[in-house]
Amino acid sequence: MKDIVVNFTLNGRQCKKLVPANKTLLRFLREDMYINSVKEGCNEGECGACTVLLDGHPVNSCLVLAAELEGKTVLTVEGLTDDDRLHPIQEAFIEAGAVQCGYCTPGMIMSAVACLNLYGHPTREQIRKEMEGNICRCTGYTRIADAILLSVEKMDAIVAEQGADVAFRGIDKNFVEKWNASYEVK
Amino acid sequence: MLNDFELFMPTDFNEACALKANGAKPVAGGTDVYVNMHGGKKEADQVVDIKNLAELKGTSYTAGQGLVLGALTSHRQIEEWDVIKKNYYAMFQGCSQVGSVQIRYRATLGGNIMNGAPSADSIGPMLVHDAVCVVKGPNGERKIPLDKFYTGFKKFDIQPDELLARIEIPDTPANAGSAYYKYMRRGAMDLALMGVSAYVELDENDVMSHVRIALTTAGPTPMRSYSAEAVLEGQKYSDEIIIAAAEAVASEGKPRSSWRSSAEFRVRLLHDVTIMVLHEAVKRAKAEDKAQPIKQVLYKGQQGLEERPKVQG
Repeated sequence: MKDIVVNFTLNGRQCKKLVPANKTLLRFLREDMYINSVKEGCNEGECGACTVLLDGHPVNSCLVLAAELEGKTVLTVEGLTDDDRLHPIQEAFIEAGAVQCGYCTPGMIMSAVACLNLYGHPTREQIRKEMEGNICRCTGYTRIADAILLSVEKMDAIVAEQGADVAFRGIDKNFVEKWNASYEVK
Repeated sequence: MLNDFELFMPTDFNEACALKANGAKPVAGGTDVYVNMHGGKKEADQVVDIKNLAELKGTSYTAGQGLVLGALTSHRQIEEWDVIKKNYYAMFQGCSQVGSVQIRYRATLGGNIMNGAPSADSIGPMLVHDAVCVVKGPNGERKIPLDKFYTGFKKFDIQPDELLARIEIPDTPANAGSAYYKYMRRGAMDLALMGVSAYVELDENDVMSHVRIALTTAGPTPMRSYSAEAVLEGQKYSDEIIIAAAEAVASEGKPRSSWRSSAEFRVRLLHDVTIMVLHEAVKRAKAEDKAQPIKQVLYKGQQGLEERPKVQG
């Protein structure tokens, strides 16, 4: 087995690592990068506890090889927090009581970020559809949807206070534009 | 940890073909292969990651000609594209119901075909939209209609040194409509217990033409139901003729019993789902705005997600 060198960005930090070919991104993040927010649930892409954003898109890190990371950007919950305050989504999860045992929460928050990239102001139905890949066995789904709706309110309030230039970590204002550029229509 | 394998990530197409001919397992999204590996199945000693091949990329639509979808096109790209909703609604319905959002970002259309599962959600809609597979090898390209591409359970008309490069789907006329229904027990992350897709073109006298019906999980591969298509072809749209077609579908489909459901239940589903899907396809063919969802009600009292009682929070 040959190890592979990968250069990538993890939570805004440039990294260079040697990884075995058969190591999944999940194991790599936990064991080599000490990113412990990423959880192993089913290890086969069903539960979403290992969700991270890869180049802005939510993926199950148990189904991604660490060797594929070359040139890619990875974002986990650790990368959402500013030095002095939590991300509005994290605050909303706490305030809405969306955390019970907490095992699914990091994956839920990353999927919530992805949802808010696609829909700036999602409806409850859109949230339920976008969060379909994350399972909460405490079944706190209603509060989780509440938390995402609350986080939108919080972010709107911050924008109203500080102006439209304020940036939230993980939220890409040009996401939809970039996405539409991937199609070619003649 | 996955079992031990050697990983290749070629950017040269011929190199990837040579590796595949040598026995390496081609992987794109990895949402089937790595899942099998996690389950303890040893897929291959060598894995070739084909995500970097330019020949398999690209997602384009040309009015009048149709879609050219690189084999690496993800289900999410199909789902979030207004062109698909407008002209190929069954494909939107199929691709948006695969796995979860996370899976759909990774899983590719080419992978859905080459995995060969009878329950593949994107294949039925592609069959009814008359998709053509373009396979490419060192000796050039071959075009094979998707319904001829499957030769048996997980068997394809493809040489060991060839890769599925892209899928071409013709454009749809303004009088066409298509629909897909996936019967599953929960709203997400479930395989199709039964699926039926349909495509019809309707003239001003309600006469149906170019009817195509495809069945998911009704045999060893996703399949067309030619006998039911023959029942409808050139006939005027009516309840009776749709029921006759559904009976033809139910006698042509050969589903098997599994722990998900019995064969008898699947045959019954084939009959009922076909009726609903054909009506939906005809309604969409008549509709002004083809991107509008039409409510899918298979049985009396069936609730959509939006109708479930809401808890106020």
